[in-house]
Amino acid sequence: MPFRSAVILILSAVACGSLQTSCRDREVQAYRVPKEAAIPPELAASPTPGPAAGSAQAGALRWQAPATWSEKPATTLRRGSYRLSNEAGEEADFSVIAFPGDAGGLLQNLNRWRGQIGLPPLAEAELGGALEHLDVGSLHMDVVDFGGTVAGKPTRITGAVLPFGGESWFFKLMGPEDLVARAKPEFMAFLNSVEVAP
Amino acid sequence: MNGEEIRQAFVKFFVSLRVTVVLLVLSMILIFWATLAQVKLGVWGVQEQFFRTFFVLAKIPGTEIPMPAFPGGYFLGGLLLINLLAAHIYRFSFSWKKAGIQLTHFGLILLLVGEMLTSILQEEYQLRLDQDQPRNYSESFRENELAIIDTSDPQFDNVVAIPENLIASRTEIQVPQLPFRVVPRFYVPNASLGRKTPGDERSFGVPDLATQGLGPQISVAPQPVTYKDNERNLPMAYVELIGAEGSIGTWLVSPMLVAPQTFEYGGRSWRLSFRFERAYKPYSLELLELKHDVYPGTQIPKNFSSRVRIETPDGQDDREALIYMNNPLRYGGLTFYQYQMDSVNGFSVLQVVRNPSWPIPYIACGLMGLGLLVQFGLHLVSFARRRAKMSTT
Repeated sequence: MPFRSAVILILSAVACGSLQTSCRDREVQAYRVPKEAAIPPELAASPTPGPAAGSAQAGALRWQAPATWSEKPATTLRRGSYRLSNEAGEEADFSVIAFPGDAGGLLQNLNRWRGQIGLPPLAEAELGGALEHLDVGSLHMDVVDFGGTVAGKPTRITGAVLPFGGESWFFKLMGPEDLVARAKPEFMAFLNSVEVAP
Repeated sequence: MNGEEIRQAFVKFFVSLRVTVVLLVLSMILIFWATLAQVKLGVWGVQEQFFRTFFVLAKIPGTEIPMPAFPGGYFLGGLLLINLLAAHIYRFSFSWKKAGIQLTHFGLILLLVGEMLTSILQEEYQLRLDQDQPRNYSESFRENELAIIDTSDPQFDNVVAIPENLIASRTEIQVPQLPFRVVPRFYVPNASLGRKTPGDERSFGVPDLATQGLGPQISVAPQPVTYKDNERNLPMAYVELIGAEGSIGTWLVSPMLVAPQTFEYGGRSWRLSFRFERAYKPYSLELLELKHDVYPGTQIPKNFSSRVRIETPDGQDDREALIYMNNPLRYGGLTFYQYQMDSVNGFSVLQVVRNPSWPIPYIACGLMGLGLLVQFGLHLVSFARRRAKMSTT
């Protein structure tokens, strides 16, 4: 049966070829898309599951978030993550991130925040004037409040830096000027709720 | 052995029933092993390591060197398919008496072909929709890509997307859309990033190559590759860009860094981003309303639903659709399933699946059922006839 044998051989070749195709790697693509308008979050949202919602307890610190803030899933980098919004549908992002050591230094980190909203960097001598000091129990925080712009829109960052447990903890609220300015009391209440987890 | 004998030996092997039995036994062992492995690896990991591969790899004890330990799904399934087809072609002679068996076998062949096509053609993405924010792309559950974006145009971004596998294999990339070459220098499939601290010289085996962007401030700690369903790998790479005049710089890229890394080159503005692979669509979806109903007095979910608006830029299509459990939206060759939802945060996540071969398993099962029905029916009829005949004699 030479015909049938030939068909079997061809089928074998086709099947092997198909399987080979299935393992072929993806290729480089080039395309054009309309620009996206979004406030770039500082650090990534990885979908790795984080702590459960509610009163957050992360690492060795815990806190109580204002009821009006919406908790977002924590990520590998974010120890806490919240969303603030107003009636106009605007949204601000609040994150709690901890990095080992001094994370490059207070000045460098604050200047990074300033750069994100189009502000010039502060000089070492100007640093003291930009800081408010807040003591919560045994914890000492440096609080800052910067107003700038992102893509022409007034944008504010209200943040705090807390050295604790060999890490620098960054509490950062960033979003539209009005929304963040109005949320300052809530932000301070959040900071005042921070305590060492038992 | 001449050519004809080799051909005969080849054919004899592939039409052999013994081969079928051996392959079926090996398949059963593979499935049993994979089922046990699912506890550690999860469904996705098992699919990748046991079924969508030619060989199941295992490390040589005491080393990190992988070796083929057992035939994988592609190997066994491919051979079974060839074996079935070959046996049919070689021995095929149609008779009504064997119609049921042949129909059942045809169904089985179709099932194998269907699974092969699914593994080749199926794409699964997720689409996160925040309320009132239209979105025209979905993101891969597993794959990542290095996007090099020319942001000079005020209206549009020109994107060159390089898949992770090319970064992983450190393939040098040169495409006409980029005035520079992209040279991946180092790659880690899963890594966590931290901010560098003065005095901390730990390198975790990762060289410090970054000269531009955020990289010089960041330390990298490689993590074991995860195959769990609810986790994903976050790779990192050092990528050097080389223009006509020489190196432009080396950047650390990772999906963990969504802060834009930008630079100017050739009179144009560029952005680098290692991100979850995107699939853009010629239309956008907007979440209008989401509902998370629970049974009264309990927290037991009764219904999740997302009301979305589908809109094409040319205005040809502008309509609403309701997506809820077991009622996906089918549009543009894609199926959008309700996947996750957070009504408090106002977002809904849809699973976006493209699988052109989805009807094949249904047809295959129908054929096999029909084949078995015909076969047993024929036997029953002939048995009944024989019995009737015996009782009359």
